[in-house]
Amino acid sequence: MKYLMIHAVDQDATPNDPTCASPEALDAWVQEMLARGVLLDGARLHPVSDATTVRAPGGSPVVTDGPFAETKEQVAGYDVIDCPDLDSALAVAAAHPTTQVGSIEVRAFAEGMPDPLVPEPVPDGKLRYLMLVCADMRRAMAAASSAAEERSAPSREDVDDGPDEVDTWIADAGPRRLYGWALQRPDEAVTVRRVAGEVVTTDGPFAETKEQIAGYDLLECDDLDDALQVAAGHPVAGGGVIELRPLWR
Amino acid sequence: MTTRAEDAVALSFEQSWGRLLAGLIGWCGDWDLAEECAQEAYAAAVVAWDRDGVPGAPLAWLSTVARNQARDRMRRRTTEDAKLDLAHADATDEVAALDAEDIPDERLRLIFTCCHPALPMPARVALTLRTLCGLTPAEIARAFLVTEPTMEKRLVRARAKIKHAGIPYRVPAPELWAERVEGVLGVLYLMFNEGYAASSGDSVLRVDVSAEAIRLTRSLADLLPGEEEVRALLALMVLTDARRPARVRDGRVVPLGEQDRTLWDGDAIAEGAALLASQDQPWGPYAVQARISLCHDVAARPEDTDWEAIGHLYTRLAPTPVTELNRAVAVSMTHGPAAALAMVEDLGDDLAGYYLHAATKADLEAKLGRVDDAAESLRVAIDLAPTGAERRLLRERLDALLSGS
Repeated sequence: MKYLMIHAVDQDATPNDPTCASPEALDAWVQEMLARGVLLDGARLHPVSDATTVRAPGGSPVVTDGPFAETKEQVAGYDVIDCPDLDSALAVAAAHPTTQVGSIEVRAFAEGMPDPLVPEPVPDGKLRYLMLVCADMRRAMAAASSAAEERSAPSREDVDDGPDEVDTWIADAGPRRLYGWALQRPDEAVTVRRVAGEVVTTDGPFAETKEQIAGYDLLECDDLDDALQVAAGHPVAGGGVIELRPLWR
Repeated sequence: MTTRAEDAVALSFEQSWGRLLAGLIGWCGDWDLAEECAQEAYAAAVVAWDRDGVPGAPLAWLSTVARNQARDRMRRRTTEDAKLDLAHADATDEVAALDAEDIPDERLRLIFTCCHPALPMPARVALTLRTLCGLTPAEIARAFLVTEPTMEKRLVRARAKIKHAGIPYRVPAPELWAERVEGVLGVLYLMFNEGYAASSGDSVLRVDVSAEAIRLTRSLADLLPGEEEVRALLALMVLTDARRPARVRDGRVVPLGEQDRTLWDGDAIAEGAALLASQDQPWGPYAVQARISLCHDVAARPEDTDWEAIGHLYTRLAPTPVTELNRAVAVSMTHGPAAALAMVEDLGDDLAGYYLHAATKADLEAKLGRVDDAAESLRVAIDLAPTGAERRLLRERLDALLSGS
């Protein structure tokens, strides 16, 4: 199964190197997980002060600075891992140095996700952005818990207006979208952090916000306006919110 | 005493800083490098112009010196990251001396980038004042009552975001044009208003941010001759600024109705009126606000004010609570305080916490002879007033009300 690890760090507390305890420890984790065939994609993000948010209520885009939610911990990076089950995914997350400085939300992708194909390196003149697709998931979650017998994975329809609109959006984005997929609902997330050196696992996402990350896409665009145009056209931008985060080169 | 060369450098700084920097950023793609080299070019000019005389084309001279500086610095850079900055500028080429006509005016690119909606509003204002107006971080910090390190950090973060997030350095595409022009005007108007509010005398050390906003809007009107709202905003600023000489007396803000109108700047009023005269309907929001301002400016005495026209103009603005509050003032002059008070009371929920709502309510209650209610409203307004000057004014009104004068 494929899982997303969302690294969440209090960026005010560690302004110099917000994402991990040490570059060496990070590199060791990456090398090990690549060797084991666990790590499929991942990147560190520029700090949240470089985030831009777009909403498109009624179809007209509204661009604002900052993240989709003003939480203490903010998304600082992500990894896509392939593990046989949740326990092994949690073990992979617990071994990541981010747990020294913040927390890691582990959430499975919705079924059917193909392997991410991310070309290296970034072509000249292009920038990569992580596009976090966020929506108010409370209704979907309430509906799911009231129909407890139906525990199948939510598809994009839970979030989007319909798969056709997403398909149209993907076609419009063209080569500017490298890949992307929907996640399981936030109530199915597990968050790993360390308290006094010990790994602590809690259910739920890293922050209890009204809007939650429902999925993401990796974009490769000419500049921010190009990326905003792609993001504003996403069907979720109409009722939810999209956060664009530039990746470190 | 300043020398002729120093005067020429100062004049060139005032006239050309923004243009020089805009061109340098376009050439080298690196905001920090461009700013450092622009500064050094002016420092070099102080010496060279004194020694060799002021060049015939100062901007071309400054650009050549700054580009040579930038080229030297880029050569010394070793990291891969820094080499990427050479995208537009080949570090191995000698920079040929530039002629005046070789320098296109790239300030539009600069202003659209500084006012990009992905930047926080305070950063947009600060970056615009720094890069286009040439104010130092210390001056901007004083203007907005923050410490210099705070302002430095704000500017550093903004420049980092432009680089990391890939905010483009260009005039926006047609589909973004209207929205982005509106964004730029919003930044300029905010800059003007903050500068204007600050001119109430709490600090004599402050640079005149509203004058900078007017200067920049004037330049923008030249750069975008087809944009009527740019000229309308310029008119609004000029017509508001015309009343500035009468706005503060003995350290206190004087309300419009009590100002010495002979102090108003007649030339500025004439300029604002001329800017508006050539505008076609339908008017944008700045054009409507400018016309409201003009109605006040052309009234020789408060009782000559055309409140009918003002009330009508307010209906042409988007009906926000603040617009409605202002319209209520006009309605009180044409239809009496009772009609206006009903409007103001309806706005109570929306404008709770806004001192001018309480102050306006107090005025209307006083006119209706409801002294106790008026006093209570004034006390609310005093608690909510943002600056000392406004609180003083409200306290005086309260004292006058209670002493029955």
